[in-house]
Parts: sequence; structure tokens; C-alpha cells
Amino acid sequence: MKIMIDEREVMAYPGEAILEVCRRENIFIPTLCYHPAFKGQGACRMCMVEIIDSRGQRKLVASCTYPVSDGLKVITSSEKIRKIRKTLAMLIAGRAQASPFAQKMAGEYEVKPFFFKGFENEKCILCRLCVNACEEMGSAVLAAVSRGVDKRIETPYAEGAEECIGCKACAEICPTGAIEVKEENGQRIIWHKTFDLIKCESCGREFATPEQIRFIEDKTGRKIEKFLCEGCRKRQTAEVIKEFSV
Amino acid sequence: MPKGGPGKGMGNVIYVQPEKCTGCRTCELTCSFMHTGEFDPTRSRIAVVGFEKTGFFFPAVCQQCDPAPCMEVCPVGAISRSEATGAMEVNHEVCIRCKMCMIACPFGATFYDAKDNQIIKCDLCGGDPECVKNCGSKALTFSKSSPAVSLKRRAAAAKIKEVLEEVR
Repeated sequence: MKIMIDEREVMAYPGEAILEVCRRENIFIPTLCYHPAFKGQGACRMCMVEIIDSRGQRKLVASCTYPVSDGLKVITSSEKIRKIRKTLAMLIAGRAQASPFAQKMAGEYEVKPFFFKGFENEKCILCRLCVNACEEMGSAVLAAVSRGVDKRIETPYAEGAEECIGCKACAEICPTGAIEVKEENGQRIIWHKTFDLIKCESCGREFATPEQIRFIEDKTGRKIEKFLCEGCRKRQTAEVIKEFSV
Repeated sequence: MPKGGPGKGMGNVIYVQPEKCTGCRTCELTCSFMHTGEFDPTRSRIAVVGFEKTGFFFPAVCQQCDPAPCMEVCPVGAISRSEATGAMEVNHEVCIRCKMCMIACPFGATFYDAKDNQIIKCDLCGGDPECVKNCGSKALTFSKSSPAVSLKRRAAAAKIKEVLEEVR
């Protein structure tokens, strides 16, 4: 099907969201909570666009969740949209006061953040990418809890969750580095849970949690007999082959 | 596109003959330069393991396994086999950088490029690997076992395969 984006006719496929079409066509729409690995969530609202329906009425929608339909007309930039994005930048920077990312964004949108009280050390912008990543990993221990300004990302009852495998996928995907991971004394502490890291049998470098190894064994159906870090795995292959080729 | 049209090069891998490797690491530099425009071995998708005392060098590179553990563990399906070349390719857009593939790779041939914040691995350069072309000692070749491949080489390949299965 064909849709119009900013007076430009582009191809779209059923089931796609406006944002997905725009990304393919290199039409820039700012977003904080969209990641190609997941479905659009409509959490951050930065990707708001205006659509014009068949009766000529304009409507504001989140482009990451709004599905395309034949003949849809989209406007990606207007005074209304800019105003919304400015307000969002102001609120996000007001919440995530310790995040240089959020503060920079407020600067780029030329707004003065409205600083909330008690959020001096906050980095989280509530994009929920960590929630999605955790779900994809098969653990699904993270969720947004509470409402309003108290909303935060937490594990159930703010305790270490049984299903957490300590993979750090949540911390890796976090755009603001809000998720705390401590690695010391052979332990990894993340989300109220402490993991004893597995040491490489050859060089002693700590490289994974036992739960991560189990995750890989389950997925591949093969047992990992010897725990070696990436570098030592290369070396072991080389050593074995060396014996054969001499 | 590999020689002979689409699909013909399918199944070819970078075949390593460590006894020929001189440890010059030109492959590392070539790989990094072709993919990033920089001569930075830490951003290479091939890594030479060296045993300087005995003069033995082994270029470790993705063997495009089938089934591939990296693909099996990827939670978001970012790693898939290219239809044109048979190479396991990473979709950097979809990848969430959980690095499970790095732990799962039996050869340690999946790398992390800290500069680009990307998981990198051999993609066979779209069917015409540059490292093979630039390998001075011909330790790297681009082929698959076929009747044309000499018996000796096949025996060696079988041995290596056996060994690698043991490693896993």
C-alpha cells in the first residue's frame, strides 16, 4: 500500500507502524523507547506525528504504535508536534536529573527542565527498553511499578528475582546507564541479586554467571564442559589443532 | 556476489591451515580496515592466536557453524544466515548487545567492538573475503570440501572437525 509522509509517497506494508516506515525511508522521527528488536511501545511519546484522516481532520498519534493504512497522510513536523516534544524534553530532563543524556536533550530542544524534587540522582527516563530486553531474554522480571511521579522500573517486591540470570542485557540496552551493575570480588550484583561469577579455567578472568551458562546450554542443547573466556577459547582451539598439525 | 552467481558460493568458509600461517596478522588489519576504515586489530573479526616459542600461529575466525550456537542463543533473532553467502550475519539494528553469542561461540570468534558498541563477527565480506586475498602465506583459503579438494586436506579437515567437536 502507499501512504503519504510529508507530501512524499512511500510504500508501506500492512501491520507496519508509521515509525517503522519512516525509519526505512530515512525520515527522521525522534524516539527514546523504540528499538528495532521490539514492537513499538508508545511509552515515551517523543515520536508523536500528526495524521490527516479521510475527512481532513488532523490527529496526534504515537508513530511507533499507529498502524499504517492505505492512503494515510502523515505530517512529521509541525508547531503542535514541536510543542509536545519540548514539553516531553522538559519533563524527562526534570526527572532524569543525573542523566547527561536527558539534560543534553533538554538543551537541544531549548527548554529549561522542570526539576522534580527528590530526583537528584535519577537517571532513568522510563523508556522501558530494559523491560523489553528482559522479556526477550526469557526472564521477564522487570516491570514499571507505581503510578505518576513515583513510577519506576523494579523487580517484583524490589527483591532479587529467581528468574534473573544476571545477563546485564537490561543495563546494556539502557540509553542513560541508569541500571546499576556492580562487579567486585568475583561477584556481580544487579537488581538486588548477587551472582557468583564463573572464572575462566585458563586465565581466571570472570566472564559469565552460572545462570548465563545454563541459558546457553538450554538454548543450544549442548553441554558446556569447560568454562573458558572468549580469548582462552580461541587459544584452546589453537592448542588442540597445533597438536594435530605438528 | 560470489563467483558463479547467487547461491554458488554458499557453504564456503574461510579455511584455515595454521601450519602455513606466519603470524604476520595482515588478516587482522585487512579485516578491520575493510569493515571500519581503520587499522585497529581490536576491531577485527579475525584474531591470530600466537605461540611465539614454538612459532605456531592460528588465525581464529568464525566457521559459520550449522547449527550455529550464536544464532541459537540470540534472544532477538539478530543473527541469521545470509542466503547469498551462507555467512552468519549480525543485524546491528536489532541486536540488543546481551553478548550471549560471545559466551556461546565455541571458538571465541564472535567479537565486541567497543568503539561502535557492536557485536562483530566474520561476514565473509559478502562472499569474497578480503583477508583471504591478502594472506601472503596462503594460510587462509576460501573453499568448501568438495571432490576437488585433495584427500590429504580432507583428512586434515576431518581431524580438525573431530577435534573441534571435542572442544565444544
